[in-house]
Amino acid sequence: MSAEEKKVIFASSLGTVFEWYDFYLYGSLAAIIAKQFFSGLDEGSAFIFALLAFAAGFIVRPFGAIFFGRLGDMIGRKYTFLVTILIMGLSTFIVGILPNYASIGVAAPVILICLRLLQGLALGGEYGGAATYVAEHAPHDKRGAYTSWIQTTATLGLFLSLMVILGTRTAIGEAAFAEWGWRVPFIVSIALLAVSVYIRLSMNESPAFVKMKAEGKTSKAPLTESFGQWKNLKIVILALIGLTAGQAVVWYSGQFYALFFLTQALKVDGATANILVAVSLLIGTPFFVVFGSLSDKIGRKPIIMLGCLLAVLTYFPVFEALTKAANPDLYAAQQKNKVVVTSDANECSFQFNPTGTVKFTSSCDIAKQVLASSSVSYENAAGPAGAPASIKIGETEIVSYTSKGVPADEVKAKSAEFKKAVADALKEAGYPSKADPAKVDQVKVTIILTYLVILVTMVYGPIAAMLVEMFPTRIRYTSMSLPYHIGNGWFGGLLPTTAFAIVAQTGNMYNGLWYPIIVAGMTFVIGMIFVKETKDVDIYADD
Amino acid sequence: MLKIFLGFVIFAALAMFVIFKGGNSLDMAGEKHGDEAVHAPAEAASDAPAAK
Repeated sequence: MSAEEKKVIFASSLGTVFEWYDFYLYGSLAAIIAKQFFSGLDEGSAFIFALLAFAAGFIVRPFGAIFFGRLGDMIGRKYTFLVTILIMGLSTFIVGILPNYASIGVAAPVILICLRLLQGLALGGEYGGAATYVAEHAPHDKRGAYTSWIQTTATLGLFLSLMVILGTRTAIGEAAFAEWGWRVPFIVSIALLAVSVYIRLSMNESPAFVKMKAEGKTSKAPLTESFGQWKNLKIVILALIGLTAGQAVVWYSGQFYALFFLTQALKVDGATANILVAVSLLIGTPFFVVFGSLSDKIGRKPIIMLGCLLAVLTYFPVFEALTKAANPDLYAAQQKNKVVVTSDANECSFQFNPTGTVKFTSSCDIAKQVLASSSVSYENAAGPAGAPASIKIGETEIVSYTSKGVPADEVKAKSAEFKKAVADALKEAGYPSKADPAKVDQVKVTIILTYLVILVTMVYGPIAAMLVEMFPTRIRYTSMSLPYHIGNGWFGGLLPTTAFAIVAQTGNMYNGLWYPIIVAGMTFVIGMIFVKETKDVDIYADD
Repeated sequence: MLKIFLGFVIFAALAMFVIFKGGNSLDMAGEKHGDEAVHAPAEAASDAPAAK
């Protein structure tokens, strides 16, 4: 690898690490930010802001992909991903100096959401630029290895944000951090921005783009060429459903759902769960480069498809093994007891709530919510029409309640009473309220989590090279960015809420896994049949 | 490659130190969307002082 190639990879990856750092800061500090910026809002305004926050995460990223992809194909990769990092860095910095709700009223959350939207837009444009830029600098037989460094950036960005947050917290103390210190990690991003911009300014434009521009062959209408012509649109669609959708659900399952499952379903304390997940992520991170490099030898497709297939075949037994290893008491209680929810089927909703703004108020929905959040697997039985739902745990029967049209304080009292009755009955049946730390088999849990992360590296390590190789230089940035961000933003981002809805609907805490299994299965089948191997493709053949 | 490996080991050691030290107070769950980005969870809300 030449010094210039090393610089290209380093500069692209470093900038992308900082972009993820900026993006994850917001997630890691969400509780404090909510308190600072949204706590004074009435319920109606909070509802609108929740929708906007949802849009910032899900809707805007693909728009960023289209907007910056188009720019990147018209004016160049270098200047476009210089713009994305400027937008991301400045938005993050402004969050750090933005007055809160108590100071400037509703303008504070409005500006904050605008900044968040800008961050989503920038993130949508960053990845495609970095991947394209690195791939167009890489030798023909090293694209997988070179681009795989970019694939490590999401994990590294997450850790970097946690390190800065905790460093600040430790230095100034909890109280000061909650009051003003939370701003420091956001303000620090200006220094990271300066470093990134300096490095990126010193880099040369992609040679493939320079050549194409010199020959006057750049696209005048990348969006029309990418999505308006079936020849290319069908490849975009294949890249989405035959590659990135499956890759996204395997990624989110291995990194985020595993943590959610440990803490929420298995009731492992947050500190232990964080440590176990972090260890597995750090062990797994080098495998991004291992599988990226391997894909230069044996092909991208076999590795990505094997990752999806293993996810399909092993998620159920692996997550069950996780339960046995992390909370054996819960596993034993689930095997021993039968819990039945009897309800009028017309009362029960599919509790899909991606924005978090829908309130489920029927007695059936409330009963299922309480059981699902207690990690109780249950059976459903049909009850008489109009009768309130009930839960039977062993010999104890508890009647649920409806909160529709009931005053808030009465709902609060009923909720507390109902939850206590369910908790008491579950305790009697042997369900632990928390995982016993002495019984958490940490070695086994780490091995299982590492396996899940290695599946992530299999599907994610070679994906940048494969996406780059599917499209010609003139529309590469646009064409590869959109399927990547729809796949990861939508298919991946909707995983937690879809999984919860399935668990609550079916009464089995493992059934949420059907979502990633079905999506990864779809990708495996479509990918195997329709997606062609790209490792030997000459990416400049159509220039 | 050796430099990268050493750099990664140092980064990993630092990250683990932070996570051990951070314990329960670190949120590693990634992005927050919709309602969870707007409403502070009860326990977090009680930790943080009121907005001024």
